[in-house]
Amino acid sequence: MTREHYLNELWQQLAPVPEAKRREWMYDYEEHFRIAAEQGQPEEQTAAELGDPRAVARELLLGYRVEAASQGGGGVRLVSRAVFAAVGLGFFNLVFVLGPYLALLGLLLALWAVAGSFVIAAFAVLLEGWTGDAIAMPLAVFGAMIAGGLGLLLGAAAYKLTGGIMRLTLKYLLANTKMMKRSVAR
Amino acid sequence: MNVQFKKGVLDLCVLSLTAWEDRYGYELAVAMSSKFEVAVGSVYPLLNRLTQEGYFTTYLRESPEGPPRKYYKLTPLGHQHLMELLREWRTFSHAVDELIKEGVER
Repeated sequence: MTREHYLNELWQQLAPVPEAKRREWMYDYEEHFRIAAEQGQPEEQTAAELGDPRAVARELLLGYRVEAASQGGGGVRLVSRAVFAAVGLGFFNLVFVLGPYLALLGLLLALWAVAGSFVIAAFAVLLEGWTGDAIAMPLAVFGAMIAGGLGLLLGAAAYKLTGGIMRLTLKYLLANTKMMKRSVAR
Repeated sequence: MNVQFKKGVLDLCVLSLTAWEDRYGYELAVAMSSKFEVAVGSVYPLLNRLTQEGYFTTYLRESPEGPPRKYYKLTPLGHQHLMELLREWRTFSHAVDELIKEGVER
């Protein structure tokens, strides 16, 4: 692989990263090729020593994803990206990491949905008490307060749980990527 | 060499190389991969991480042969971290030596 080819490939692979960061990373590899050339080493040999640009890009990307997720305060979107980056790197077993993670996400989604439907039910009961004649207004207000209260409680629980699960996932990723990045073995 | 064993040592080695003088990336990458089975290209992500964690600062310095090179300088925090790792390593290798003496070299 020539210098041109190698750097192009690396540049393509780093596409998800903002341009400033991408240039900063590329600089190291450009400099490496330049100094190797100054020492009279053929481009092909330098490229071979550097190792597969796709593997290099994956290593760089994983660090970036985990970093972004922890700086973003553990938002679901960022944490999910980091999880996928880690799984993509092949360090985590797909079944043992991605499986439980998706299951937890499903559980959270269900909890949010239940909380949401309680709140909607509260409004529906109020509307029925006001316009319909199935239940009287005082009873409707009472029902709406129960449903609304339950909905808000569940919502708060779901919020806490989401934050907790994201933080835990992130911690797990951080612990593992640190080890991983130490293992820069080929 | 055992991969698991090599993992923790790479940080220690790359920090050690910069203990007394600042070095540029190429030097570090080549030095590391000449001693360990590490792809040269994987040393830069390692340097990136150590920089991000505050153990290195980087700067550009002119070189006699051409354009400026990016140098890695150990920070006080990096120095502290290096000393910790070094202590851990000494304890570990001392323990291994003791056991080898006891078992093999008696």
